[in-house]
Amino acid sequence: MSGQTSRPFVWYTHAPMPALKGSLTYVRYFVDGELPADLSTFLKPIRLRAMKPLDPAEDVAERSGWCRVDEPFATDLAYGDVFFNEYVNLGFRTDRWAIPGPLLRAKLREAEAAVVAKKGRERLSRRERTELKDLVTKRLRREVPPSMRVVDLSWATGDGIVRFFSQSPRTGALVQELFLKTFGLRLVPEAPYTLAARVGLTRAQDKAWEGLEPLTLAREGA
Amino acid sequence: MTMQLVDRIERRRFVGREFLVWLWFESELFDATLSTKEHGSFGLWFERLLVLDAGKAEATRIKGATPAASREAKESLLRGKLPLSAGLHLVLDERESSFTLKAESMSVAGLKLPAVLGPEGDEGPAHSLAPRPAPRRRAKREGREEQEERESDLEREAFYERMHLTRDVESLLEALYREFLSLRLSDAWEGACVPMMRAWAAGQEGLDAEDYRDARARAVPARRRR
Repeated sequence: MSGQTSRPFVWYTHAPMPALKGSLTYVRYFVDGELPADLSTFLKPIRLRAMKPLDPAEDVAERSGWCRVDEPFATDLAYGDVFFNEYVNLGFRTDRWAIPGPLLRAKLREAEAAVVAKKGRERLSRRERTELKDLVTKRLRREVPPSMRVVDLSWATGDGIVRFFSQSPRTGALVQELFLKTFGLRLVPEAPYTLAARVGLTRAQDKAWEGLEPLTLAREGA
Repeated sequence: MTMQLVDRIERRRFVGREFLVWLWFESELFDATLSTKEHGSFGLWFERLLVLDAGKAEATRIKGATPAASREAKESLLRGKLPLSAGLHLVLDERESSFTLKAESMSVAGLKLPAVLGPEGDEGPAHSLAPRPAPRRRAKREGREEQEERESDLEREAFYERMHLTRDVESLLEALYREFLSLRLSDAWEGACVPMMRAWAAGQEGLDAEDYRDARARAVPARRRR
């Protein structure tokens, strides 16, 4: 396997690839859409959406991108990093600036005091305060590393199933967005409804499904 | 996702809870030996944790070796609660797995698979004792590369094996869900299943498992065995 493995200073919260070790906690998505005959054509869009580390000078607080499944710092992805026979395995990496609130407030107070003293005024306007906060935040980003979160994704292309090793709804929404941008394919989350559609209902069952009323086993009067 | 799909998903999340209570019912009625037309017989029982709620009402969390057997569990059903998630133990083809099934998303958490291949379980990295003509540093580098390649291969093998076992569990759950839907969406549900499940929830003794089995067999179409 190849790949760029420069290691910038980041807070790193990552469990070893769950598909390889330990117990498995995941949600399944069904892939909606046609696949190309040659899956290797996916390598280009994957590389295009590979993780680009956050830059303190940017006005971006959070960014997600692909990395190698067992190595979040490997973002220069080669064929062998991604394709495991019929599986497409990727790490879904999200970096976020998470400056501790007390630190930001303390630095902001310091900066405000300095500006007020320099301008000879009692207080700053709301706009000046917002601008100062942006400035202080950017300055702190050079000192405080971003936090990093990596979740593994394994796409069984033959089955049309993606296993995403996190059950966080927010992370799920982010990965659906990146998957669509990368592959042009929609991820449909597994649920009683989508699984029923997948296992297949007859016309009569479909009609009964439409009229379903929830079951209750409650005793009368409960 | 379109709003229409989101709406369809949300409006039918309760079916997952019904699936879980049906699994619980069958597991008790058939003494933890269930079957599907696709897989034949296998063991399935509830363990570790059972969470029941009724939407807005406070959830009941029951922990223990056999949470579904507790009095509180059935009492919760009689108060209108249904399972939200449950720890399940599965024995299929002499292979044991355990996991938590979350009813409303049909998702699996904490799936423990039978032992599989892995770098730790193998005999260790390859070291050749044969003399090599290459200079020492080069030989060391080549040895390291070989070792890395070998570890990578083992990792991949372990991954394929784990995915294979995961698919086995998922395939069984899908088969169970398919059979549940055949029953749930048939006349046998209201005619035979619900009365029996009500009696079961109320703790009535001497339920006729054969009556239920017949009704189930009539509702679930025959399917080719694996």
